[in-house]
Order: sequence, then structure tokens, then C-alpha cells
Amino acid sequence: MIQCQWCHAQNQPGTTNCQTCGAPLDEKDKVSDSGWREAPRLRDMVEFRFSGSTCQVEGELVPVAEINLHPQDGVYFEHHVLLWKDESVPLSSLNTGGGMKRTVGGMPHIVTVANGPGRIAFSRDAPGELVVLPLHPGMELDVREHAFLVASHSVQYSFIRIKGLVNLLHGGNGMYVDRFVTAGYPGMLLLHGNGNVLERTLRPGEKILVEPGGFLYKDSTVQMQAAQMPLKTGMLRHGMYLAEMTGPGRIGIQSMYVHHHAD
Amino acid sequence: MNTYICRYCRQPSDPSSATCPLCGAPVDIRSSVSDSGWVEQPPIKDMARLQFGQSHVQIAGTTVPVAEFNLAQNDWIYFSHHVLLWTEPGTQLTNMPMRGAWNRKLAGLPLIMVEGRGPGRLALSDNHAGEVVALPLQHNQQIWVREHRFLTATGNINYSWHPTGVWYTTGSGDDQETRYPMGQYGDTFGATGGPGLLLLHSPGNTFVRDLQPNQTLLIQPSALLYRDVSVRMSLHLEYPRNMGFAFWNSRWSYRSIWLRLFGPGRVAVQSIYAPPEDTEMITSHSYATTHHW
Repeated sequence: MIQCQWCHAQNQPGTTNCQTCGAPLDEKDKVSDSGWREAPRLRDMVEFRFSGSTCQVEGELVPVAEINLHPQDGVYFEHHVLLWKDESVPLSSLNTGGGMKRTVGGMPHIVTVANGPGRIAFSRDAPGELVVLPLHPGMELDVREHAFLVASHSVQYSFIRIKGLVNLLHGGNGMYVDRFVTAGYPGMLLLHGNGNVLERTLRPGEKILVEPGGFLYKDSTVQMQAAQMPLKTGMLRHGMYLAEMTGPGRIGIQSMYVHHHAD
Repeated sequence: MNTYICRYCRQPSDPSSATCPLCGAPVDIRSSVSDSGWVEQPPIKDMARLQFGQSHVQIAGTTVPVAEFNLAQNDWIYFSHHVLLWTEPGTQLTNMPMRGAWNRKLAGLPLIMVEGRGPGRLALSDNHAGEVVALPLQHNQQIWVREHRFLTATGNINYSWHPTGVWYTTGSGDDQETRYPMGQYGDTFGATGGPGLLLLHSPGNTFVRDLQPNQTLLIQPSALLYRDVSVRMSLHLEYPRNMGFAFWNSRWSYRSIWLRLFGPGRVAVQSIYAPPEDTEMITSHSYATTHHW
């Protein structure tokens, strides 16, 4: 059997792409000297499975995730990432809770649910990469707002409000971070990262300072705090803030972002 | 070693290496040249390393590449704070004040640069899909770069900025506006006391061309990425012939505003640019050639 270096799933010998996440199995991991690993660049038209459904990734500049839903399966998403669907695929809405607070924070308080059978496709509106994150039971993953593309219905969706005035005002991650949790069943989570996506696993207590706009996802075990740097960013501005990430756990970043102090 | 001149950075390079150790351009590929003579700058290979001083920079990614620096003791680089993607807590970051703060603010340029000093690691990236272009500079070599394209430079590279001298005005009285189709200021970088490394971020693809003495070329002003300081530039205004079916103002609303480059020297263009949007009549301008069809 061949183990996928990205999601650790086992694949039959001779397979060139992971059947669980689509990552190429016949290419070496690209890891920089400091330990950042590039998210696998999915081959055009690669296909992988989750539950009874399949997902095919099309295009390389702004990739499209085309899902063929099994009759018992469903996915949910923010409605503006829906590119096309079969007419027969039913849509419903799911209230995420949070109501007005979410609206004030610029976040949707309703996500859209599509159920099988049928085909449906999703994409975001910037050059970048699809990050496929198969979630094993008991996993918790935090994702920056508006980076989530689509998730299978076995993944629970919630959000956590960023605590602390300093984090809220200077953290650059808005008011909320989306949290995806798997309970008894595995699930599939697809994110869209702008530009290139890099991932690193921090050891317990290990720290890295990241531009908040570059933060994409992290294991919920990774602590995130706004840290003030002794740097001016303009004539009247004092104290540039970065997001201090403390391990243990994975952290994913995107290389294209709007700087949180940009004029 | 030193028997091969890299065609992209024009420096003596190592022919036995897969990529030029100074600029990251692949050594083992044929040059891709368009029929009109533009040479496509090959993207730096994913994970390629460029050496400078005792330090190196590794380029990760191909859509919006990240420049990941491993800085040795006594080596340092400077950059604008908004391109910092991540840093190790131990890397020393300090401010580097710039002269002419008020003029820089008016021109939308960063007022303060950040110095990153080794030992330690940090990474930089811009926010456009495109390429990192590495320009190793020899002692006393200078290069002109369009504003906002600078990513970072090693500590021994001087940075100065000067008016581009390319402008035009529209309207009159209180409505008069001065426009700078390639920005109000341009950056000049020069190496002192030894070779240095300059990194630019080029949105889209990058193409270079070597102009002969007095050879001229018309390009979109905002497409210029860098040029040798020997290359001169000025405005060129081109008006279409009125075919009789258009409105009275079509001769200026459909005009083209070009940048004329004069050789000798190398010029580089980026394939993503923002053409001038205004359509008002030009009332005055910097030195320009004009053509009415």
C-alpha cells in the first residue's frame, strides 16, 4: 500500500493520485528549508472520493470542485461560491446561529445545503489552490472567515468569536473563525487558499509569527494571539501586529492576502 | 565555474547547476523568444535557492511565490512591512526611516521600511498572481524599477527614488489634474561595496528585451517593470483618425497614451497592467512625441 503524505490515507499500489484527497502520490513533497510544506498541487481533472460521492477538480488557476453527490450524501457551503448545479439537486438553508452578530461581522448566518443525487460545482474568485482536508473522527479545525469552500454534511460547522479587544482590533482575522468538527464519522472539508498554500506542524510550545491576512487554517490546538512588534508602519502608526501561533498542531497559510493594515 | 553568463541576470553563473545560483533562472532550458524579440523570463523553479553573502533565499510556490530567507549573522535585508508573510520570533526586525516622508505619503509609497537581520528566518510575498524576479547587482551596477514592484533588497543595495518625469494634465482651473501614468516616482537601486540581490514581484508574466542604441519601443506605461538606467523614457500620444461616425471628442477619448523607451539597455515588462482610464483632453504634458492618424 502507498501512504499519502498529505492526508495519510492508504492507497493501492500503482495509484498515481490519492483516492481520499487527490494529492499526487508519484511526486515528492515540496518542503522548504524551514519546514513549510506546499499543499499538494492537484492535477487537472483529478478525482477523489468521500463517503459515497466523488469530487473532481478542474482547472489550475482558479480551480473548480465538481461534486457528484450520492443519494445519501449532502454538502454545505456559502451560497456565493456555487458555480453551477444540476437542476434536480435540491437546495436548502441551514441557520448557523449567531444572527445579527454574524451579520455585523460580515459573516453569513445561513449556509446553503445541497443533497444528492446530482452534480454541483464550486469555485471562489481569486487565483489560488484548493486545499483538500479529509477530517478523521474527533478532529477540530479552525479556518479563517470566507476561506471555506464546501464541506460534507458529516462535518459539524460552528464558529468561535475571537476573544480579546487587542485580537479583535489588531488580529486581522475579523470577528469570527470558522470551526469544523467531526464527531463519530469522517468528513471532507475543501478550502480555497489565495495564491499558494503552505502548511507547517508546530511542536508543543513552538511559536511562529504570521501576517494575520496570510492565516488560512489551524488545528484547534494551536493558540493564536495578536502580538505587537516594535515597528512603525507609518508616520503616525505605532506597533505592527502579527498573529503569534503557538503549537502543537498544524497551521496553514496563503501567500496572497490583503494586508490587514493596508491603506 | 564562471564560464557561463546567465542570459537573464547577465552575471557569471554556474553551468553545472540546474538553476542559476544568483537569480534562480533555469539553466537547462532553451530561451523562449517571441517573433518580435521579447524574451520570456522563466519563472524561478519551485524551491530553488539563491545565494547572497552567507545567506540564501528559497522561492516556494508558483502562483504567488514566497521568498523565504535564511539570514546569516551580519546579513540583512529591507522591505516594506506589508510584504512580510511570517517571521521566526528570533529574527531581529527594526524600522528603516525613509527621507521625504510627506512626498512619499502623497505618492502612496511606503513611508518606513523594515530591516530584517540575521541570524533567523523570515518570508515575504506580494498580493498578486505573478513571479518573483531576482536581479543580482554587481558593485556600482544600478537598475531603475517602477514603484510598488520592489519586494526586498540586501543591505548593501542603496535605494533612492526620483520623479519619473512622465506626466500629463487634464481639465483646467479648479478641475485641473496632473496624472502620472507610470507613477509619480521611480525607484533606483545600486549595489555598493560588493554584489547584492534585489527581488521584485512582477504581476503576471515577465518579458525582457535588450534595446540597441537609439532603438525605441512603445509600451503601456504601467507595464514597465524595470530598465537599465541607460534606457531613457518619455510620453508618446497617439490619436486615431476620425472616421466620421464618432462623437466630436473621439479624437482624445480614444487616444492611446504610450511610454516610449529609448535604447541602449535592457527593459522588462509585466503582463498585468492598468491602462490609463481617463478620457479627458490633455492640456499639458511632459516631453512627448505625438502622432495623429
